[in-house]
Amino acid sequence: MTSDPGRNLHYVAKKRRVREDKRFVTGNGKYVQDIVLPDTRHAAVLPSPYPRARILSIDTAAAEALDGVHMVLTGAQLAADCNPIRLGLKLPGIKWYPLAVDMTRYAGEWVAIVVADDAYIAEDALDLIEVDYEPLDAVVDPEVAFAETERFVHPDHGSNVLYHGNFVWGGVDEDFAAADERLDLRVRWGRSATVPIETFGVLAQWNEGTEILDIWASIQMPNFVELMASTLGYPLNSIRLHQDVDVGGSYGVKRGIKQSVLAAYLSRKLRRPVRLIEDRLWNMAGGDAHGPDRIFDTQVAFNKDGVIRSLKIRALDDAGAYPGRAPFQLAKPISALVGPYRINSVQYEAISVATNKTGQVPVRGFGQAPTNYMIEMVVDAVARHLGLDRLEIRRRNLIEAHEFPYKIPPGSEYDSGDYQTVLQKCLDLARYKDLLQRRDRARAEGRLAGIGIVTNLEPGGGNNIFEYLMDPTAEITTFMEGCEVRVDSQGNITGIMGTTTSGQGHETMFATILGEELEFDPDDIRIVHGDSLSSLPTRSPIASRMAIMLGSAAAGAAGRIKDRAMAIAAFNLDLPVAQLEYSAGTVSDRNDPSRKLTWAEICFIAYRAYHKLPEGMEPGFQAQFVFQVPGGGKLPDENNRVGIYPCFSFQAHIPYVEIDPGTGRVTVVDYAIAHDCGTVINPDIVRGMVIGGLAHGIGAALYEKFAYDDEGQFLSATFADYLMPSVHEIPDVKDVEHCTPSPLTSHGQKGSGEGGYLGAPAAIASAVNDALSPLGVTVHELPMRMHKLEALINEANTK
Amino acid sequence: MKPAKFDYVRAESIDQIVDALDKGDGEAIVLAGGQTLMPMLAMRLARPATVIDINNVTDLSGIGIVGDELVIMACTRQAEALASPLVREHAPLLAEAIALVGHQQTRNRGTVGGSLSHADPASEIPLAALALDASVSLRSVAGTRRVQLADYFLGPMMTARADNEVLVSVHFPIMSGGAGSAFHEVSERRGDFAVVAAAAIIEVDGAGICTAAALAIGGADATPRRIAALEDKLQGAKLDGALIRSVLPEIALAVAPGDDQHAGAAYRLRVATNLAERALLEAFDGARA
Repeated sequence: MTSDPGRNLHYVAKKRRVREDKRFVTGNGKYVQDIVLPDTRHAAVLPSPYPRARILSIDTAAAEALDGVHMVLTGAQLAADCNPIRLGLKLPGIKWYPLAVDMTRYAGEWVAIVVADDAYIAEDALDLIEVDYEPLDAVVDPEVAFAETERFVHPDHGSNVLYHGNFVWGGVDEDFAAADERLDLRVRWGRSATVPIETFGVLAQWNEGTEILDIWASIQMPNFVELMASTLGYPLNSIRLHQDVDVGGSYGVKRGIKQSVLAAYLSRKLRRPVRLIEDRLWNMAGGDAHGPDRIFDTQVAFNKDGVIRSLKIRALDDAGAYPGRAPFQLAKPISALVGPYRINSVQYEAISVATNKTGQVPVRGFGQAPTNYMIEMVVDAVARHLGLDRLEIRRRNLIEAHEFPYKIPPGSEYDSGDYQTVLQKCLDLARYKDLLQRRDRARAEGRLAGIGIVTNLEPGGGNNIFEYLMDPTAEITTFMEGCEVRVDSQGNITGIMGTTTSGQGHETMFATILGEELEFDPDDIRIVHGDSLSSLPTRSPIASRMAIMLGSAAAGAAGRIKDRAMAIAAFNLDLPVAQLEYSAGTVSDRNDPSRKLTWAEICFIAYRAYHKLPEGMEPGFQAQFVFQVPGGGKLPDENNRVGIYPCFSFQAHIPYVEIDPGTGRVTVVDYAIAHDCGTVINPDIVRGMVIGGLAHGIGAALYEKFAYDDEGQFLSATFADYLMPSVHEIPDVKDVEHCTPSPLTSHGQKGSGEGGYLGAPAAIASAVNDALSPLGVTVHELPMRMHKLEALINEANTK
Repeated sequence: MKPAKFDYVRAESIDQIVDALDKGDGEAIVLAGGQTLMPMLAMRLARPATVIDINNVTDLSGIGIVGDELVIMACTRQAEALASPLVREHAPLLAEAIALVGHQQTRNRGTVGGSLSHADPASEIPLAALALDASVSLRSVAGTRRVQLADYFLGPMMTARADNEVLVSVHFPIMSGGAGSAFHEVSERRGDFAVVAAAAIIEVDGAGICTAAALAIGGADATPRRIAALEDKLQGAKLDGALIRSVLPEIALAVAPGDDQHAGAAYRLRVATNLAERALLEAFDGARA
């Protein structure tokens, strides 16, 4: 549905101010903490100190007796009144409640919740709750968890394996037999995540009169309201999620289901608004904080010329105690399982195991970042094995521009791309030849210096058909996004979106596309967020999908507005629509431009002059559009082949790093990225996404890890131990855009919210390995902390 | 992350501080810049009965020369000490160390005395002060006493300061104009506590003979450590790079590093040696007769 690529764009792709900036910079954002209701009660949670323990008893009497305390709730009480939270996979032996029931399953799991007049009293009361625990040996190592036959995180499940599947796409055995060589590589992605500035918070208010539960929350989650309803046993139309709450960061992690169930339950019990704002300790240990934690064992078959023929991938993912949607983070990467490379066949064994750690939640890319890291490390290993340049092996394997649309073995069809050109743009931007000289000079001076080269994909658009691959009862073939456009009686335009936004600039994007299509200045278009009872279907801003999905829905709704304006004009000018021309709201006769209806006249007719409306047309001036995922709507074929995501953005990354051999400390000195997400709707937003994503990826590569000791104690509950990069650790990034439009979206746009993060960890790892190459050692585990690198360097030097 | 209840005293003079400490009976704690104490309170890791805020006590702030000592009052902000020409001139090692403490924003609040009172074994100010042979002045209702830093640090976050004492001032012997000094550390990110750090001071005479040497290592033991055996071997020796490298094994004999998730003992020991080498060589390079 791409509009005419030759047409002149007025607002799309133009450097224009991001409209959200004004409210954030001037302190006019509205976060959940800013919403104040009278008589609000404040909640505090009691975390378990043990990773695995039986709860023998909980004595809440002293806490309840404290002045200012209104209620103390335990898991046993709560479980009697609500359903377990629905899991992504159907695992009846696993019952997930917002509070631990009978047993704690990770250090930090919430055991009780207190509601008091203020947060101070609530925390005082926590001190007075007495829990009698019987500590048990925890399941910590994912490989041990997988093999375990007696000690289970969820005894009723009878195993620690949450999912184990094996897929073969194409002639893997034949390709391995025919290949000149093969090698094995183990790579490990550390447990990290996106860590938002704002922890999760929720304010819930049950109204007995309307029988509606109002929720204000720092939320970014599809199906949130459905999960709330199923857990609480409410009809869906009894829950109103206010989506005009600003969300202070998320990139996947702001699920908030257990927190919101608690606040809702307590609000209804107490007949008062209840607020639960996580503090950082609760958030890091027991909130929605931890991302994938994954071991890949990959075999690759290739020819002597560097052509990669086939992959056999085994991915073992540590989902932690409660799986939620964690196993699906193994399934989504199937959408780009062979990366941007022409690989003929692939085998994928995916295993998700439960351990006594904090449950895994979705993180930016939904499993794609670890997968891309693995693919790039494998490509580098092949290059190293063959003595081939890392650049050359990519050039030989990248899918060529003329091959699009390109169907990969698991069934996704890459929509468009020009990978070689983007790679060349990155080389030019990095001044690659000079960079090589710089690296070699540094080496000659005795320093460890390295260049990373990575090419990677960002699937965008979202389409949950990957759930079906893991669970054939999950026949979900749409992942739609709706919006409504209203033109008021004065002619002003308002766009209504149906989801919260967590910093991605959706309002700018939405207004820009409406402005482009209707030929009005986007700054004059108002964008509002409907609540869950009043807005059209949404699946929330996951999966790099909003530009693709909401953007295309906006174009669709704008088209319907234009159609209505044309119809009104045709009727009143007594001309066929085909003879009319729309220009910035005015509809005129192509043959005689003086015969026209202005926007004001059209709006007047729509709202006031029913007698001037075409027969059968409803009065008013509004349009709705619900956009279906392009290429979606189908179940997989008998070989499990299915198109998962519609749009594929591409990047090339070239960082330059130096490592201090005396300390192992890595400095990212320079970073060049060339980025192709099709049509850029707002350049500043895309650039912010790219650079922010890079910073996030540098964190995952070098610093960030939610660590546990051998007994399952959590070691990273504060920012003294969970190390995120600051501005000092992020170099001045050089970036360049390339545009290969998607044929599937309104303006050729693709996703851009995840891309920097999906390549940067691999790029930094590639650079570190290049720096270590004179020593003959490599590292394939993230994060590459300085003490580990120093040990490798020291060992190599003392050999 | 809400503190437990405590009484709050805003002291206006040193006398009021020591009175309040005395009445606190071991349950009172002094609040200076709050860079450590406030998070400890918020996490309820510290639960004092009384918090004595000393930020209004103007007598506790300032930098000056008294006799042959550079004196920094305890509540002097790290940013002020960093910017001080007196500190640069008379204790350049301290200035170099403070530049590595946190970030500009935290240095605007954090104090020199607070750092010494907290006594984190990896923190920069205690390490530099130890290398500089500094001493601290501690005051209680009973009077004032002076304690050499070598006797002051007792263990991780443990010092010789009694519960009823407040750290009033830090006293640095003025460095000889010809001394060279250097501070080297490694931290995961800029502004973090050092994982390991080394502070060195070298003086030489006209013949290149070492007349004074100090090496202090942080992050490799329960407290910052002076490496006396190494210093002894340098003093009186004709210095060059090879000689400096030859004495480095003394470090391993003098420190007992521990393990944590961020670095193991072996790492700390090797890196302490590497950083000490850099610091000593740079200090030697900066020393002039």
